[in-house]
Amino acid sequence: MTAKDYKLIFTGTMGAGKTTAIASISEIPPVRTDVATSESQLASKTTTTAAFDYGEVSLPQGDILRLYGTPGQTRFSFMWNILSEGALGVIVLVDNSRPDPVQDMRDYVDAFRDVVGRSRAVIGIGRMDSHPDPDIDVYYDAIGQLGLDAPIMSVDVRRRDDVLVMLDVLFNQIEAAEAEAEMDTVGIA
Amino acid sequence: MSAAPKNDDLDRAACQPHLEALARNKEVLGALISTVDGFEIAAEVRATTSVKKLAAMTSSLLALAEATSQEGEVGNCIDVVIEASEGMVLVMDVPNDSRKLLLTVLCNKAATLGSVLWAARNTRTAIGSDMNR
Repeated sequence: MTAKDYKLIFTGTMGAGKTTAIASISEIPPVRTDVATSESQLASKTTTTAAFDYGEVSLPQGDILRLYGTPGQTRFSFMWNILSEGALGVIVLVDNSRPDPVQDMRDYVDAFRDVVGRSRAVIGIGRMDSHPDPDIDVYYDAIGQLGLDAPIMSVDVRRRDDVLVMLDVLFNQIEAAEAEAEMDTVGIA
Repeated sequence: MSAAPKNDDLDRAACQPHLEALARNKEVLGALISTVDGFEIAAEVRATTSVKKLAAMTSSLLALAEATSQEGEVGNCIDVVIEASEGMVLVMDVPNDSRKLLLTVLCNKAATLGSVLWAARNTRTAIGSDMNR
């Protein structure tokens, strides 16, 4: 059996933990394109991703997960389009301590609607320990109102195991979606 | 003691005359000074060019070029040159003591790489010197 490459996207607002998530699981030194933030931006972070982060995870049967982290800021949204080309799945990271994290989720789900709509997405909510509201049910309601469905889970991206669980769920979704597409192709559905 | 806050207006005043001088070159279509994280400081471009978008794209481009240079073990990125069907785009940083800025130069099809690189490098040196005063 030939090993496959899977291109997966980590997206979400600036500070949601995309760079940290990729760094916590990548088996290679991650490629980073961090740049210093301008003072005028009043940002809480001193650096931000300008192009993308990149890391790799290999699976036991030889398949490779290629992980791309998008810039978080909307002025870099042209990179979202470039990076989502050929992506098989997306992890949307949300920072629950932000003023309107549910709207953040809506914005990024909408930006990657093509991938999310094909049942190839997982939503990870961060900082729920210190900011428990809104809870997971609110997010499920919001994504349901968008006419979409995706697993939603609390995550601490600094914990390798948390990120691996998200990847595992996403990968299972992708396999299920691909199996369904294959059955459709051969007329078994 | 903390450093004095950076002032975009002062930086704009220092950059704008140099960009206007560069844009008078018949091979140059426009020029932009932006922050390393993609905000416009000063621009002299055609009305149809989105300065905001160009500033953000320049930031991504240089960040990626720097990562690629390091991955390829060829040292630090100095300039980025894009040769396009209707012209060229040059991106380079502006050496100065206060903050990292980028100079982007848009050139027409008649431009020769050597002459526009020479003009752009002179401009970035002049801007850097003025900002250090």
